[in-house]
Amino acid sequence: MRASLVVAVVALATRVAVADEPPAPTATEPEPAPAPTAVPDEPEPQPEAIHNEEEDAGPLILVEQIDITGNTATQSELIRRALPIEPGDLIRAGDPRLRDARFKVLALGYFLDVQLAMHKGSARGQVVIEVKVIERGTFTLNRLWFGTNTLTPAWLGADVGDRNLFGLGISIGGGFIYAGHGDIDGSRNQLATELRVSDGSLFGTQFGAFGSVTFVQGSDPYRVAGTSADDAVDFKAFPYRRFGGRLGITYDLTTLTRISAGLRLEQITTTLPVAPTQLLPDGRTATVDLHLRPGESYVSSIGASIDRDTRPDPILPHSGGRITVAGEIGAGEYTFATLFAGYEHWWPLRNERHTIGLRLAGGVVIGDAPRFDRIYISDVDHMLTPRALGLVLSTAAPLGILGTRGDKPSYGDLGGSATLEYAARLFRGSGKDRVYGGDLFVGAGLWGLAETSDLQARDTRLWKALPVDVYVDAGVRIDTEIGVFELTVSNALGRLR
Amino acid sequence: MKKLVIVALVMCLALPALADDDAPELQRMKFVERGDNLFVTTVLTKLFDSASYEALDTGIPSTVVIRLWVFPKDSTEPVGFQLLQRTVWYDLWDEVYMLRLDDPAGRRTLKVKYRAEALKLVTAIDDIPCARLADLPYEAVYNLGMEVELNPVSKETLAEVRRWLSQGTGGGLDRGGSFFGSFVSVFVNPKIAEADRVLRLRSQPFFRPKP
Repeated sequence: MRASLVVAVVALATRVAVADEPPAPTATEPEPAPAPTAVPDEPEPQPEAIHNEEEDAGPLILVEQIDITGNTATQSELIRRALPIEPGDLIRAGDPRLRDARFKVLALGYFLDVQLAMHKGSARGQVVIEVKVIERGTFTLNRLWFGTNTLTPAWLGADVGDRNLFGLGISIGGGFIYAGHGDIDGSRNQLATELRVSDGSLFGTQFGAFGSVTFVQGSDPYRVAGTSADDAVDFKAFPYRRFGGRLGITYDLTTLTRISAGLRLEQITTTLPVAPTQLLPDGRTATVDLHLRPGESYVSSIGASIDRDTRPDPILPHSGGRITVAGEIGAGEYTFATLFAGYEHWWPLRNERHTIGLRLAGGVVIGDAPRFDRIYISDVDHMLTPRALGLVLSTAAPLGILGTRGDKPSYGDLGGSATLEYAARLFRGSGKDRVYGGDLFVGAGLWGLAETSDLQARDTRLWKALPVDVYVDAGVRIDTEIGVFELTVSNALGRLR
Repeated sequence: MKKLVIVALVMCLALPALADDDAPELQRMKFVERGDNLFVTTVLTKLFDSASYEALDTGIPSTVVIRLWVFPKDSTEPVGFQLLQRTVWYDLWDEVYMLRLDDPAGRRTLKVKYRAEALKLVTAIDDIPCARLADLPYEAVYNLGMEVELNPVSKETLAEVRRWLSQGTGGGLDRGGSFFGSFVSVFVNPKIAEADRVLRLRSQPFFRPKP
């Protein structure tokens, strides 16, 4: 609090200092000269002091009824459940819950605006609370995939959803992507689709549920020669198919903290090459482990996660932070464990006009995890094309900036990234012009991805063996009434490399 | 490439100007010495617009938070600070406006008959001590900065209201992306402000003449 006050003071002082042509100083007066004031139009009775301490928060009122108006799609019951008050409650007229109620309803995410008003009830001391809502469209375009490169001459796809299906508060979403194949031996056209459904609050409780079904038909490339070139002859691909689903429950520990647990069952069908190898630059031949069972195999696992997000604005964060940890344990044909964690924190500067953010993300995969559960290089290097619905769309090698080893692995069991980002407020709007704000940001980070076996059995100095490098990113984030947009260097690179 | 660098540099240099969209507005204030303190008097006429004025009748509490600082000209170190909080709500049955005023003199609870009177009480800065005279040397020039918020929203509430933006719609294939990547979405995107209205004011420079 103290720190924020100082920051605010500094901001105010600085702003004053740069203001145009300040007026000449005026002298303070030695004696007060009380001036009578008057309110135009209405008579001015003398304020009456109240001495009852209990009435500091106003008289007691009985909530007789709550009326919901303005909702055409969203069920009234859904709104009632979100309110911190209900009929029959005896509260003080100045109870802060009356103001909080507006935000609890807004937090559902289904409304453009919510206003509350009280009306007289059927008897003295009783009130009817009216909750006026303005609904918004809840259809979302979550992601748009498109691009072109050597491995995939063209890919196109989208992920869409509705956060309030039939006004029931249920979220559904689905994605589909199609990718044409390039010249790599063994590659084929790829497609992936996914259907998701979730309810963050089952029957108004803190429990929620989620589920998803996925189908992927793809071909995954692996390097057979060279170390960092992107030539098609240096790669081969093998076909695979994945079909499965996830089912789980969530629980809101607090309004900002959610834990979840779930089950996963997946069938993988693949035709693996016989004894795949890679020709190394020194002429030796190394065996390539594709981390999959040939033919038909099954992945079954249980997982749990926790997510705490205190950022007041997750789109243009200038303060607060987020921490996410998720673990998964697989049994059966693939016995493995994974642990992923992400942490970010934003420190406001100059009254939140600028900010410094630290993002840390990392994961470890232990045991015999299937290939698709391992950490992929574009998960950690943001300058590469990210996976889309599980499909690998690029074979581009990462840019070698630090001069560390050139043959960085595509998949690893230990990986992470650390990013330091500076963002400056470009503008802030009231929303009247459909634009809330924009930030310019510049970031740089270190990423690393390793097969732990490679690190243990190395034939060079540790620095040369470390599969780490740096990435930089810069761009603009814009928060508008119709969505969130990022125009960034890494995003552009991810569509072309 | 050279052009790109120049454009980037120009953007960086332009940042402070672009970001200065909420610079404080100059408002003349009256300063008076009495006893050991400096007192300020002014009125916050622009805080309430017609909608927020009408909202005083809804029975739902409205809160005004006022922070004021006195600092020497060309300095960022305040020599005086004051926090004031005022809450007003309408009592439907007694048909009066209830006010709870927290200021340096302590808490006062009042009730008034008319809305205009309630508005005047919550927006008046009337003889409020803002700095100790001992901290204000003669002839030195000072400014008073003021930030006034109508119905401020806590950061935790803001986070709660926008939390749905960062929540996925069920664990799908892009599980890894949520740890390592960012998201870009298109949707109807409501957003609440940090307060219904915020005023940032600065006084005219002032000084204490030698007696």
